[in-house]
Amino acid sequence: MIGIVRFLVRLLPRPFREEFGDEVVAQAETELTRARAVSGSALWRAYVTTVADLVWSNIAERWRPSWFGRTGVVFTGGGEGMEQWIRDLRWAARSLRSSGGFAVTVVMVLGLAIGVNTAIFAVVDEVLLNPLEVEEPGRLVHITASAPGSGLPDEFGSSAELYLQYSELDDLFESVATYNWFTATFRTPDRTERVPMSAPTPSLFRMLGAEPALGRLPVADDEGMAVVLSHSAFQDWFGGDERILGRSYEIMGDSRSIVGVMPEGFGFPNERVLLWIPEEIRDDGDLEVGRFGVNVAARLRPGISMDAVPPRLEAAARLVTERYDVSANYERLLLEQHRAIVRPLADEIMGDVATPARIMLGAVLIVLLIACANVTNLLMVRAERRQGDFAVRSAIGAGRNDLARAQLAEVSLLAAAAGAVAVGVAWVSLPALVSAAPPNTPGLSGASIGVGALAATFVLSVASAFLCGALPTLRSAATTAVGVGSAGRGVSRRSRWGRDGLVVLQTAMALVLLVGSGLLMRSFQQLRAVDPGYDVDEVFTFQIAIEDEPGMEMGTDFARFHLDFMDQLRALPQVERVGLVNNVPLDEGVGSTRFVAEGDIAEDAGSQLGRTWVGGDYFDVMGIALLEGRAFDERDHLENPGFAILSRTAAQLLFPGEDPIGRRFTWPEGESIETVIGVVEDVMQYSYRDEVQPLVYLPMVLQWDEEWGLSSPAYVVKSPRAADLAPEVRELARAAAPTAPMYSVFTMQGLAADSMVSLSFALLVLGVASALALMLGTVGLYGVLSYVVAQRSREIGVRMALGAEAERVQRMVVTRGMRVVALGVGIGLVVAWLSAETLSALLFEVQSADATTFAVVSAALVAVGMLASYVPARRASLIDPVETLRDG
Amino acid sequence: MTDSEGLTRLEYHVLLAMAEGPRYGYAIRDAVEEESARTLTPRAGTLYRVIARLITSGLVAEIQPPAEAEPHPGRPRRYYALTERGRTQLSDEAQRMRDAAALARRRLRNA
Repeated sequence: MIGIVRFLVRLLPRPFREEFGDEVVAQAETELTRARAVSGSALWRAYVTTVADLVWSNIAERWRPSWFGRTGVVFTGGGEGMEQWIRDLRWAARSLRSSGGFAVTVVMVLGLAIGVNTAIFAVVDEVLLNPLEVEEPGRLVHITASAPGSGLPDEFGSSAELYLQYSELDDLFESVATYNWFTATFRTPDRTERVPMSAPTPSLFRMLGAEPALGRLPVADDEGMAVVLSHSAFQDWFGGDERILGRSYEIMGDSRSIVGVMPEGFGFPNERVLLWIPEEIRDDGDLEVGRFGVNVAARLRPGISMDAVPPRLEAAARLVTERYDVSANYERLLLEQHRAIVRPLADEIMGDVATPARIMLGAVLIVLLIACANVTNLLMVRAERRQGDFAVRSAIGAGRNDLARAQLAEVSLLAAAAGAVAVGVAWVSLPALVSAAPPNTPGLSGASIGVGALAATFVLSVASAFLCGALPTLRSAATTAVGVGSAGRGVSRRSRWGRDGLVVLQTAMALVLLVGSGLLMRSFQQLRAVDPGYDVDEVFTFQIAIEDEPGMEMGTDFARFHLDFMDQLRALPQVERVGLVNNVPLDEGVGSTRFVAEGDIAEDAGSQLGRTWVGGDYFDVMGIALLEGRAFDERDHLENPGFAILSRTAAQLLFPGEDPIGRRFTWPEGESIETVIGVVEDVMQYSYRDEVQPLVYLPMVLQWDEEWGLSSPAYVVKSPRAADLAPEVRELARAAAPTAPMYSVFTMQGLAADSMVSLSFALLVLGVASALALMLGTVGLYGVLSYVVAQRSREIGVRMALGAEAERVQRMVVTRGMRVVALGVGIGLVVAWLSAETLSALLFEVQSADATTFAVVSAALVAVGMLASYVPARRASLIDPVETLRDG
Repeated sequence: MTDSEGLTRLEYHVLLAMAEGPRYGYAIRDAVEEESARTLTPRAGTLYRVIARLITSGLVAEIQPPAEAEPHPGRPRRYYALTERGRTQLSDEAQRMRDAAALARRRLRNA
């Protein structure tokens, strides 16, 4: 980072630089060091402002010098002043105008690459730098647990009693909080909807260091009567009316009064959360001990390292056994098996988003490097062509620095134009990127070409100008008057190596990108080929929160409503079949319970299986194959005969090696007994990537005496009009249950596409990046070989005059090209092999070192290289010896 | 910059930072940031251009590090202090600001 600072200081006018240069660098270093200690975004801000300030100082110091040297004599030499600088720029503009093709190519290549970077940067900026948008995110941690040997999952959430225990560790934590998120009903006099919300402890806001935009933060004494609104709830639901503070509204059936409104951009644990209903966890009689799955987060005290935390947490957990009356199993878990897992909160919140974001940023940066390599090559060719010009200038007294500055002025002009093009490219491509990105991406809604993105464009333009300009500038500075006579003839060995090296580099980088997108593409194919056990075509699904409807209390009420409503849905035009399920695949998970085969009396008998309730023609609608026995019929719903249907895996687990039809099992804890009437194909409940989960299907029944019975299952509707049904169904729902909101409205196809969106987004970005890389790489190779052919036309002409065949000349040029490509492919393969591992989180049933992908991509690149060499080679073989010799 | 032009805000704050005694670069930056209520945060290039300008016009001079200065690892820090002229200029500027403020108060009261 400090490299660019040093470079910019070196460009300052000499008197100022000699007196203050070291001080300026030291000051900038301190600035960056201090910012780094605060946070990643502070460092970024400090860096951009420091670089911008130095660029400005460069201009200002030339325009109105502040320092003329210790003597106090005003320095009037022409070399350092603004005038010289302007003269350089004018000369550069003139010479660029005279070679328009060159300038346009460079500006477009750089502009495209920088623009793509700007757009991706705008998308991932917040995601990567400060997804939580809080003070000192580095001190925030997320706490979970594992308990090897207990039969619990490898990692699971904390519990209320552990939260209380952790809260007492004052020397470790500044504050501790719990959080969650779910969907529930929010009702105002004129609007009722199911909205995403969170019920954290009131401490959450202070732990994050958040301040309300309006009103106050919640406190423990609010006793569950308070609600905090997000900025978007405040705007969308209340039109930004500040008088709502103190008013009460119904949330999840309780009346709560608005105590505060959070500022725009605050969204925790994600941006979709519309409001927070704080609930203090107290050590009173109501505390349910041993219920895991509570998200606990904490802010470490300054200076506490994350590694020091787990042993203290485990010690604190052991104290739980003294404070509460716990079961023997739970006591053993706490005393012997419990392990605390502590990780940065940002990792937890970002989850699957951070990796693709990093990959994308890496991919577009590689594209920029390739573009720079291309432009460097073009600039070197140009510098070589103008050696004569430089030599003349140096002969009439221009110093090395003058020549370098002239070259730099040209690059600066090109970079400025490229920057302008880049902003346009980013502006056009950002909306497309945002619409293709996963909808849950934290920070995405704020993605725009703002100050941050413009600063990124600026820094990238400056950086690429220096990157591209460095080599040719050094080269031209090395030119001396001695070179005048020989300028413009032949190719020096050194510059040939430089250019070939750049093409090798481009080929290698293009190969890395192509391998990456090849791997993702294969994963995508594999994922699309997965058979989830159901058919997502032409299925519409939605839910109605009828527990909000007055008079809906008992399971019987719910079941009656659902049976009636299914009939109404069947009456809609072109609706083929209707069913319902408590947890629709790809949208919701299922709970699990221990099921035991009848007669199995072993102590550890039974299996932990998922369970859900279905009604109507659920299996038919979803195309879930019936393997054995029969599905539920109308009578099963009306009479509750105690029947169940098992998924294939569940049947194998409960009744291994036996015919399950007619067999009986008990659950939970022997309370209920069911008879198996059918077996259906396994389904993928969560996503196409996960293993199938064994499932027990129970019928939704009319005689349900418990309150928690099937209140709001998901309806599934098979219809060729699945995508257009929503308005009609909404009408029906409003008529049947006027106060109950309809929600989770999807087509199954939409859910399936959503479940693949993070992979398809990464694939899209990497695909575009590698297409650009391939294009730029090809152009680079073609350019170099064309130039070589042009340079050597005399030599080739002589060879042909001496009897060399056209074919041999062609082979000579192609061989040269292929040697460069082969070296690039070799290096690229090694780099790709080493770096493909970073993609593994996105890959599906493809090894990161997949031989096929590597082979296909290498072959493709070699073929493209061959093509790019063939055109100049053919041109070489058509050289007319007489023509070239006469011209020479 | 001449006397008749007055001082820019940044120049004023840089002079103000040295009014208590000699200061080195980063201490000046911090003092300016704090005393301007965080409205001015001079970055490296700008800060040293202002210092250079103030030295050129004779308001500030570089001096030997004061004896009580804490030793600094690495390169020795360079200290800058107000000259007599600088001190006068700063106090003139302060007087001018006082007068301007008093005038504003009077007018606002009468309005």
